[in-house]
Amino acid sequence: MKITWNWLGEYVDLTGLTPEQVAEDLTSAGIPVEKMASMNLGVEGVVVGLIESVTPHPQADRLRVCHIDTGTTKLQIVTGATNVQAGQKVPVALVGAKLPEKHIELANFRGLPSEGMLCSASELGLDDKFLPKDQAEGIWIFPEDAPLGENVVEYLGLNDVVMELELTPNRSDCLSFRGVAYEVAALYSREVHMPDVDASGVATVSDKPLSVRIDTALCTGYSGQVVTHLELGPSPMWMQMRLLAVGMRPINNLVDITNYVMFEWGQPLHAFDYDAIDNREIAVRQAKDREVLRTLDSQDRELTSGVIVISDHKKGLGLAGVMGGECSEVTDNTTTVVIESAMFDPMTTRRTSRLLQLRSEAALRFEKGLDPDAVLPALHRASALMVQYAGGQLLGNPVITGKNLVSPVAKVQILVRVARVAEVLGYAMDIEELEGFCHQLGLPAVREEAGLRVSVPARRPDLLREEDMIEEFARLAGFDRIPSTNLKGALSHGGLSKTQKLRRMTRDYMRNQGFDEVWTYSFVDGEVHRKLNIADDHELAHPMRLLNPLSEDREALRTTMLVPLLEVAKYNASRQWESLFIFELGTVFLPTAPNGDKGMMAPVEKKVLAGVGYGSVAKEPLYAGRNYDFFDIKGLVEGLFERLGIKDKVSFERMAYPYLHAGRSAEMLVGGKPIGKLGQIRKEVARTFDLASEVYYFEVEMEALMEMVSSHLYVAELPRYPHVERDLAVVVNRTLPVANLFSTVKAAAGSLLESVTVFDVYTGEHVGDEEKSAALRLVFRAPDRTLTENEVQIAVDQVLSQLNSNYGAVLRK
Amino acid sequence: MREQLLALQEQALVDLAEAEGNALDAWRVKYLGKKGELSLALRSMSKLSAEERPVVGQVANAVRETLEAAFASKFAEWEAKQAAIQEEKETLDITLPGRTRSVGAEHPLQKIIRRIEDIFIGFGFTVEEGPEVEWDYYNFEALNLPKDHPARDMQDTFYLSEELLMRTHTSPVQARTLEKRRPEWPIRIIVPGRVYRRDDDDATHSHAFTQVEGLVVGKGVRMSDLKGILLTFAKELFGENQEIRLRPSFFPFTEPSAEMDIRCIYCGGDGCSTCKHTGWIEVLGCGMVHPRVLEMGGYDPEEVTGFAFGMGVERIAMLLYKIEDIRQFYQNDLRLLKQFASLPE
Ligand SMILES: [Zn+2]
Repeated sequence: MKITWNWLGEYVDLTGLTPEQVAEDLTSAGIPVEKMASMNLGVEGVVVGLIESVTPHPQADRLRVCHIDTGTTKLQIVTGATNVQAGQKVPVALVGAKLPEKHIELANFRGLPSEGMLCSASELGLDDKFLPKDQAEGIWIFPEDAPLGENVVEYLGLNDVVMELELTPNRSDCLSFRGVAYEVAALYSREVHMPDVDASGVATVSDKPLSVRIDTALCTGYSGQVVTHLELGPSPMWMQMRLLAVGMRPINNLVDITNYVMFEWGQPLHAFDYDAIDNREIAVRQAKDREVLRTLDSQDRELTSGVIVISDHKKGLGLAGVMGGECSEVTDNTTTVVIESAMFDPMTTRRTSRLLQLRSEAALRFEKGLDPDAVLPALHRASALMVQYAGGQLLGNPVITGKNLVSPVAKVQILVRVARVAEVLGYAMDIEELEGFCHQLGLPAVREEAGLRVSVPARRPDLLREEDMIEEFARLAGFDRIPSTNLKGALSHGGLSKTQKLRRMTRDYMRNQGFDEVWTYSFVDGEVHRKLNIADDHELAHPMRLLNPLSEDREALRTTMLVPLLEVAKYNASRQWESLFIFELGTVFLPTAPNGDKGMMAPVEKKVLAGVGYGSVAKEPLYAGRNYDFFDIKGLVEGLFERLGIKDKVSFERMAYPYLHAGRSAEMLVGGKPIGKLGQIRKEVARTFDLASEVYYFEVEMEALMEMVSSHLYVAELPRYPHVERDLAVVVNRTLPVANLFSTVKAAAGSLLESVTVFDVYTGEHVGDEEKSAALRLVFRAPDRTLTENEVQIAVDQVLSQLNSNYGAVLRK
Repeated sequence: MREQLLALQEQALVDLAEAEGNALDAWRVKYLGKKGELSLALRSMSKLSAEERPVVGQVANAVRETLEAAFASKFAEWEAKQAAIQEEKETLDITLPGRTRSVGAEHPLQKIIRRIEDIFIGFGFTVEEGPEVEWDYYNFEALNLPKDHPARDMQDTFYLSEELLMRTHTSPVQARTLEKRRPEWPIRIIVPGRVYRRDDDDATHSHAFTQVEGLVVGKGVRMSDLKGILLTFAKELFGENQEIRLRPSFFPFTEPSAEMDIRCIYCGGDGCSTCKHTGWIEVLGCGMVHPRVLEMGGYDPEEVTGFAFGMGVERIAMLLYKIEDIRQFYQNDLRLLKQFASLPE
């Protein structure tokens, strides 16, 4: 909402105030003034002049010589403009005048002196889009009634300041000068004076110029005034300039008057051609399904029953509150109009204007809800202005119908308890002060035992409850008056939950392992699974999709962390990062029901820890020698499990997965339930992300890990007797997983076995082509004695025999 | 005999001075060994008289001690010299880089979230979370934003179905927490999380961003308590001398509502381009929990009151780290991220 200082001054006395101060005070009272600018960008010494004659320049085809009367002097001015004619009034910059981008001096054009300059609108620093094309491109031709010799700063009202208000949605009352005037009045304890609207001119007698019937509950009030004998023409210059300043393009006197009154009262008006109304009968009704109405932008609009139309009994005349119909448009031939001032359902108007993508100043005000107390004053005011500035005569009395206009709307009554004000704000105000604020706001208030009973006029629909009034008091008192205090009551125990702590610990672990944390978008391309080699019927290929995405590459909710991480890898790889280690603990969204279902369910949101690594293991090139591989990423995950104390609970099994290398990938399981996967990204998948080297990936579901983590740590007794080690190198089939040997060893060795580890795996000339040798270290210990050689040997023999019978394992020679 | 011994000592010391390496060993064998010269000399003592013997014995012992001490010192000297030679050979260029694994960087947004969490944990708050795909009810209706409420325009929403949407703020967790905890109080929570608005991405807008929400509900909770806690918070986050101010504003779920500004941390209030020459920077929205929200959450606004606040993590990170484009948080350019591997926390 834009306002101008002088226009505002018509409704509230601004004496002794400056725009700067009012802007600051409005801002700290919750009506932020976002921008403030002078309308005069530096015009000085420009007056209204009359062109007495125009003659061609004897020496130059393109120049003309104008003889100008400024009322006090006669001047000769040479111009290049082509739209000047004798008898026109134009802005004349005198010698010594200042324009925003020029300084005018006595000039000489091909031998002829030029005592000043004729100006265009843009040379005066004004927006020229409201002017006809020839004037916008040439000299601005003023109306005939422009007063000769007057300073154009005065004539155009340029000594004014435009302020742009950034209104919060609750303060739609300030979408009018009236509302802002009340706000300013409240801040400085002044009175609001709206124009007198009763003396709107004597109506010509007519038995019944118009009848109106409301056929829908979506219209709560409708008033109309017929005005006849109208002469269409431009509106007065001051009105055009004011409309322009608040962002409205001047059109003609009738339209400008409806707009001017809308800004003044906040009540949108519409003027339409009286002669277009069949039988002088208007009906306000809901549209029929598929009813077509041609709006005044010449578009045929197909309507639904959710739209309110103004119609006669044959046709639609306009879309209520949104746009008029072409058939009832005011044209050059119009002499009689109906001014409509009405109240339509805000939500219906909002839906209609959204549906038809017609956003206008009027629709904006309808959407926010109107003040029933402004409907008739606005109608009267517009009627009076049409009489004054368009030669109109009122035909009959206004037609007024609808429940909000016929019977007064009950006022909201709010009881404000003095004690409650202190309870909510934390400091006390006495009842006299509160009464004073009510008076400043123009809200009648009476004392009651508990406090004040406030009657809220319809112009403040945002005031509904006690808290709303408390906010009014607080903002008039200034929020700076609120003290800083400490919460009362018992201390509470703050902290993170177990899961939150473990998540932090996990992220810390990852960073200590040299992984950088990233933070990626949740939205991905809905077809991205194809890049991952995932078939269309795979569960990951059916992400939840947004109904209104901004773009195709951000249309679906990610089902895996892999895509965002590979995108980060791609981004950085293209910036010459030859090795990269990144992770994110992020959310994936797994659908629980197919898309588009009416009873669509919320997805399962899982927190997943995922990482991508490739390149040199060593940070310093000096020590480079080995690239990150499968056992690095496996070790990374194992280290995490160890950190969380759950290493023994997780097993690794080979798996086949669409985007993972078939021989270098594993699934992690707990009690048979998968909790994650890791491995090398298939080369062809890496290539689609422009990644060339061996890229490794892992993902683990955080919740699954957290469930296993114990809250307790109990220390085991320290061993009292020495252990005995035995190393066994056994030859087995090359494909046999070493983990299988471990489980056999553990089962066969009995209770004396403390641990088994592998310290070498050999393939080569000393074993068969299909064989490998695995060197195992077995550690034996008894809690209550030193083991004898014999005891250990018995256990080792059992192990060897079991390994042999399970896997044909033999001791390596 | 005595002269003989002293002459031996003198000769031995002269030899020792010359000896190095293996020669040292040979010297020891020659003079101090079992068949060495000193032993030989002593053996001839048996020929001496009983009076002479103790006297010469004393001299002989003194000579042995002198030689042994001289040898020990000479040997240590030689060893030290050897060690020095060895270390000279093993000398490294200590200016070469250490063999280290990189330290991973914490993402700047996570770093800020951690700081904010820790500050409020210190105030006795717990950390709550909620789903990012949210029901219309929790995101809007339970927060006093009925369908078609004009204030919904403030937040353009991504929808998944008529009722299911990407949450536009972390505030639905307020409604969920009230519903979960009722009728208990006090409630003191903060809610960090990711939120979504249908904005085209540019330097100051992002379709996804991060918020931290706060909610306090209890007996006698006042707007002055809100101001008090926000002031302490601002001092913890931005520095001991940080000032704040509250300005009236509007949120459907708070009444009264306010914006909190901090004194510009760049110009200290004198005015600069960051604060648009106002001396203040808006960082947070807040207010007293709207009685309607308490009612819908199952609480009686006459019995308990509350306050709530919400801040954009990106905005705070941009201020604190002088990041000028919000998209950089989501670009994950390692050249930027790596800078966050170091302190300060
Ligand atoms: Zn500043």
